[in-house]
Amino acid sequence: MAGGSNVAETLSCARCGKPASLQCPKCVELKLPREGAAFCTQDCFKASWSSHKSVHLKAKLPSPGTDGAGEQNSDLASDGWLYCLRKGQSRTPKLPPFNWTGTLRPYPISVKRIVPAHIDKPDWADDGIPKVEPNSDLQHRVEIKTPDQIERMRETCRIAREVLDAAARMIRPGVTTDEIDRVVHEATIAAGAYPSPLNYHFFPKSCCTSVNEVICHGIPDARKLEDGDIINVDVTVYYKGVHGDLNETYFVGNVDEASRKLVQCTYECLDKAISIVKPGVRFRDVGEVINRHASMSGLSVVKSYCGHGIGELFHCAPNIPHYGRNKAVGVMKAGQTFTIEPMINTGVWRDQMWPDGWTAVTADGKRSAQFEHTLLVTETGVEVLTARLPSSPDVFPWLNK
Amino acid sequence: MADDQEEPPLAIRIDQTVEEPSRSDPGQPQNENFSVGVTVITGYLGAGKSTLVNYILNAQHGKRIAVILNEFGEEIGVERAMINEGESGALVEEWVELANGCVCCTVKHSLVQALEQLVQMKKRLDHILLETTGLANPAPLASVLWLDDQLESSVKLDSIVTVVDAKNLRFQLNRHRDSSSFPEAFLQIAYADVVILNKVDLVSREESEGALEELENEIRSINSLANIVRSVRCEIGLSQILNRQAYDATHASHLEALLEESKSVSSRDLHDSGVRTLCIRQTEGVDLQKVRLWIEEILWDKKYDMDVYRCKGVLSIRNSDHLHTLQAVREIYEIVPARQWRNEEKKMNQIVFIGHNLDENTLIDSFRGCISELNPSGTF
Repeated sequence: MAGGSNVAETLSCARCGKPASLQCPKCVELKLPREGAAFCTQDCFKASWSSHKSVHLKAKLPSPGTDGAGEQNSDLASDGWLYCLRKGQSRTPKLPPFNWTGTLRPYPISVKRIVPAHIDKPDWADDGIPKVEPNSDLQHRVEIKTPDQIERMRETCRIAREVLDAAARMIRPGVTTDEIDRVVHEATIAAGAYPSPLNYHFFPKSCCTSVNEVICHGIPDARKLEDGDIINVDVTVYYKGVHGDLNETYFVGNVDEASRKLVQCTYECLDKAISIVKPGVRFRDVGEVINRHASMSGLSVVKSYCGHGIGELFHCAPNIPHYGRNKAVGVMKAGQTFTIEPMINTGVWRDQMWPDGWTAVTADGKRSAQFEHTLLVTETGVEVLTARLPSSPDVFPWLNK
Repeated sequence: MADDQEEPPLAIRIDQTVEEPSRSDPGQPQNENFSVGVTVITGYLGAGKSTLVNYILNAQHGKRIAVILNEFGEEIGVERAMINEGESGALVEEWVELANGCVCCTVKHSLVQALEQLVQMKKRLDHILLETTGLANPAPLASVLWLDDQLESSVKLDSIVTVVDAKNLRFQLNRHRDSSSFPEAFLQIAYADVVILNKVDLVSREESEGALEELENEIRSINSLANIVRSVRCEIGLSQILNRQAYDATHASHLEALLEESKSVSSRDLHDSGVRTLCIRQTEGVDLQKVRLWIEEILWDKKYDMDVYRCKGVLSIRNSDHLHTLQAVREIYEIVPARQWRNEEKKMNQIVFIGHNLDENTLIDSFRGCISELNPSGTF
């Protein structure tokens, strides 16, 4: 298979620590990680069996005829909670068939949330179709923002930061991603802003929640967060005619070492990329910096999704790939605003799409993390418009050192 | 499914568990390193584009080829594809709906995503033809299809083929002499990798040989890089338009052609349009970073007011034993190490520009600024 993991696998027997050359066939069938499921001999495997097999129960596949959470989901269906299909244009009561790459499954989503009439809305709010954005010449040239636009973006990005922080405070086992979406939605409205993702090309919710092997664009649903999960929450708000976009990946309870390293490395990739931003730097160099840092940690970079210009449009020029050796056109100039949002994977870089038409998952089912900021190029460097505030929750252990 | 077994199953060897190839990932090539070539077919209405497409589909070549028929208006999108069942000889029209891919913050244009889906759906597909009906300028299409190698896509831009009408070409080229916009013919020829000079039978017998040569010279003066193929009813050898690999930086035959001095000659400015081919040559090795800045000033900043459509060249980079290639379409460019210089080869820089308002002296002088400096002791 093209594009294998960069990590050399030297597995140890889960029971005795000797080098392992065997693994549990049930774990293979359920696509569970090899770590912890590798053994040196059948004897060690047999001896571990009674405690090991509990891993399989946790990842039990749904039996035919029922949904991911059994009766709970059919109850939800009667309350109007259904699975999302066709990018959000339709719904279905049954879990759609798919060759899932990992253990995560979609859950039904709640009914559409209302935005009060007094909130200024982008042109896709009503019918799901952006009209100005696709035809704008800002898809072909990078705008230099006026001082007024910059001031509005500072304000809007500050609101986006505060909304994301509100979501971060919700993160704990047992909370559903739908509840996180509700908090994002209400906090956005309370600030007088519109949650940009809502109905953008029919996206059904007000933010993206991406758990574990989901790379990006996960749709908030009825699934409860579990101890050990990682979750990315991506917030964009529209206020005073401009958008502000940021995302962070959080730990749910106690996560394993590999996940901790993944998330920290991803944070560092964004940090290093931001550190090179200033007038005259080529857009294509952002990918070089990210790729170098990820590769050094044995991780891979998602190639299908990129950073983007932002302002009065949600997505516009420039396109900023996160991988190396790309042909991105142009250099940074003072007054430009854009995002950098690397998605870093434990395993292969390739992505696949779920039947809902939005959720991107890793092709091998291993975990992915992401961080994003909206940036302004200044005369001498960069201003991180969506930067953490003193009030931002203390959820990243490496920041305290 | 019994998950409460008392007895553990037999553990399996780790190297026996081969990771399955991506199941529903349309972007991945079906075989290692194999991508389906995409040929853009352009040309005036009536020049023979449809004739060419039908000829390719019907000729007994054993290849499975998909033709995308689309009205390219303001937006480049794909709706339907027609596939031929080349092997059995019968042409089957199969209308396949291609859903638009994700549009926001994606690296691949929705057209590329649609073509990848097509390749995945059709199991074995040898080539894709994009027949452009309403598109005057193939450049935006080339930009969209010229993907980064890093993406390892299952589709790859193979070449742009322009069909011109031998009987009407001169008229078409002269037509808008006084207007500020170019006739489509200039742009379509300028961006072509292959020009099919069709309907040669219609050029009258008495003037035939001389007239055709003159036309070919006119075409070469606009674009000296393109291969010109004469045809009647577009009946040509398929190898002349399929698998050209025109955007493959390391493709051997293209490199040889670029190195050949006779092929790289600047044209005189034959047309009022000012679209021409220009070649610059220099033996001293150059500094890679300086070359990048130089080409970026020309392509991105439009320094010197030159409008470059296409650029292809060979570079001799100081301190590198590798021959580098330079390739550009509009603002998109790449410089890639291609292969090692051979001992008998004369190392040199040779770059061909195709565009409008090009000035040879300006290019030569500014390129000289890229020469790598040695300090007095002969080292860097």
